[in-house]
Amino acid sequence: MSADTAGPETLGSLSNEPAPQDPNSEQAKEIAGKSPLRIALGRLARDKVAVVCALVVLFFIICAVFAGTISNLFGVSLDTPLASERVDGLNNNLPKPEMGPPNGPFTWDHPMGVAPRTGQDNMAYWLYGCRVSLTIATTAAIIASIVGVVVGLLSGFLGGKVDKVLSFFIDMFLTIPFLLAALTLAPILNERFNTADNYATIQKFSLVVVLSVFGWMGTARLIRGEVLSLREREFVQAARVMGMPTSRILFKELLPNLAAPIIISVSLMLPAFVALEAGLAFLGIGVTDGVSWGQMILDAATPVYFRDYPQYLWQPMIGVVALVLSLNLLGDAIRDALDPKTRR
Amino acid sequence: MFAYVVKRLISGVLVVALVSMAIFLLFWYGPSSPAQTVCDRETSNRCGDRIEIYERTLGYDNPVYEEYGKFVQGVFVGRTITVASNEYECTAPCLGLSFVTKQPVKEALVDRIPATFSVAIGGAFLYLLFGIPIGVAAARRRGTLADKALVSSFLFISSIPYYLFALLTWLYLTITFEIPFFSNTGYFSPITEGPWAWFSGLFLAWVALGIFGCTQYTRFTRGAMVEALSEDYIRTAKSKGLPTRTIVYKHGLRAALVPVVTIFGIDFGTLLAGTIFTERIFEIQGIGWWSLQAVQNRDLPVVMATALFSAVVLIISNLLVDIVYSVLDPRVRLS
Repeated sequence: MSADTAGPETLGSLSNEPAPQDPNSEQAKEIAGKSPLRIALGRLARDKVAVVCALVVLFFIICAVFAGTISNLFGVSLDTPLASERVDGLNNNLPKPEMGPPNGPFTWDHPMGVAPRTGQDNMAYWLYGCRVSLTIATTAAIIASIVGVVVGLLSGFLGGKVDKVLSFFIDMFLTIPFLLAALTLAPILNERFNTADNYATIQKFSLVVVLSVFGWMGTARLIRGEVLSLREREFVQAARVMGMPTSRILFKELLPNLAAPIIISVSLMLPAFVALEAGLAFLGIGVTDGVSWGQMILDAATPVYFRDYPQYLWQPMIGVVALVLSLNLLGDAIRDALDPKTRR
Repeated sequence: MFAYVVKRLISGVLVVALVSMAIFLLFWYGPSSPAQTVCDRETSNRCGDRIEIYERTLGYDNPVYEEYGKFVQGVFVGRTITVASNEYECTAPCLGLSFVTKQPVKEALVDRIPATFSVAIGGAFLYLLFGIPIGVAAARRRGTLADKALVSSFLFISSIPYYLFALLTWLYLTITFEIPFFSNTGYFSPITEGPWAWFSGLFLAWVALGIFGCTQYTRFTRGAMVEALSEDYIRTAKSKGLPTRTIVYKHGLRAALVPVVTIFGIDFGTLLAGTIFTERIFEIQGIGWWSLQAVQNRDLPVVMATALFSAVVLIISNLLVDIVYSVLDPRVRLS
């Protein structure tokens, strides 16, 4: 019973409920006009770490999207040059002095230098590597989240046998270590497709498939847990009583309420996938056509090149570390903003 | 208790059988022409029509269940493998024949196991050696500046991909600074080459693995300790006037360690199943390094054997974790 309906005898001011507000007042408008998402965005904008990380991520996204334009702007390209024009065969195949570091001064022709041995331009490879990395990670994250959300929704909402079977699959996939699985699948995919004309495309495609096949379980678990608590809520029961078909309850009633966990899981999946993509390329079982940060790291991590030309390693390394780190920290910040309870 | 263990063992054996079938099928139907590699290798890349001979002798003409039966038979009693006109004896447990060396896979696998186990044991030891004390210290100083600095710096380290961390460690310590103690990484047998060579060869790998892995254990231990220290029995212990050390280590840590031990068991199993990045970067010729090599040589039987080996190690370690956990926490057995 609230103070308004209890009559004049009650001590209205002692009631626990907030004092009724004039809905047209200035203060009420300010509160009423904010959706949970906008509140979260506001929190995120006040978080300095999150803003810096978002800017770094934005920089990488721009590099990836406009890789071609930026390369043209600097006059660099992915073309394979005549190696002897650019590298010095007598000096461990390191770049000639006129090509910039490590033996010469900085030159605008090759702002990030050229690769030893092949003489390919580092900047173009770096930019396109960024594109490959982000494309594969984003696609895999989207597919993995869709699979995870659908599995989580079904197993949480339907319960019973469906839940048992789906939970079994979630647990089974969780026990398979990703790297071992990738290492096992790589030669099989290779044997099947390596004679195909579009091998490079198939390679990236299968990388996306492998990443999403082993990446959906976390989301599925999270969503299942959320659905288990949501399905007992009044609005879902009301929808059931009204005779809404299950599919509509799932996608119209439950899904909008799951926006926060889905955003959180995607934002934590992205850095993991970027790191894995580069890691697999570094092992030689991911992208092998050369345009990948992991491949550049593999190439540069030989003792000879590293001793005389450490920038060659640092360029892709900084790319991977900065992207993964800022995506990770941004993901954490997004989680804190959407769900303040988990704040450390 | 006994019934529970027997039940878990039976289900473990079933899982091993299912996983071996799955892996066998994967390697049977996966490659478009499984015998191509060995044919290319034996005929100096002029395989052509001779592929049929190889496919027939290796049994790819037969139905898959028959060949799986032969494979299982090989594991238990051994078998003879025919490649074109040559016959190779493969004693039990036979896991197949390497396409490259024509040696039974089992022999090479047994040679590689000590290296991987050495890496795993040292790394896992450091996980606990660094992780638990730091986690306990952070939990006791919860909320202070030191705790916050530790938590955020560990979050930072664990955000960097592990292989880059290990690669930088290796490049700087052995190549740029040329520290003599670290200069010769790799696996040396402690028996034939002496324990010191073994220790110094693996030390860097252990440290990289340990520092990176302990961040996770610090986080777990800290969380579990914070929870345990706020329990009623801790307050009782305090009010009885027990010394702080007894309260923290005897009453608090013992309760907090149960979940940590579980996670440790699974992690240790994963390490034993193959530390691919560590072995690749520090040039330790263990199972992970070997299977990576086999992938590059398209040596399918070796990849299949390592996959099987890893799966079995993982299943056994999960089984052990379940059993240990049921001893530590009797509620698990009953449900």
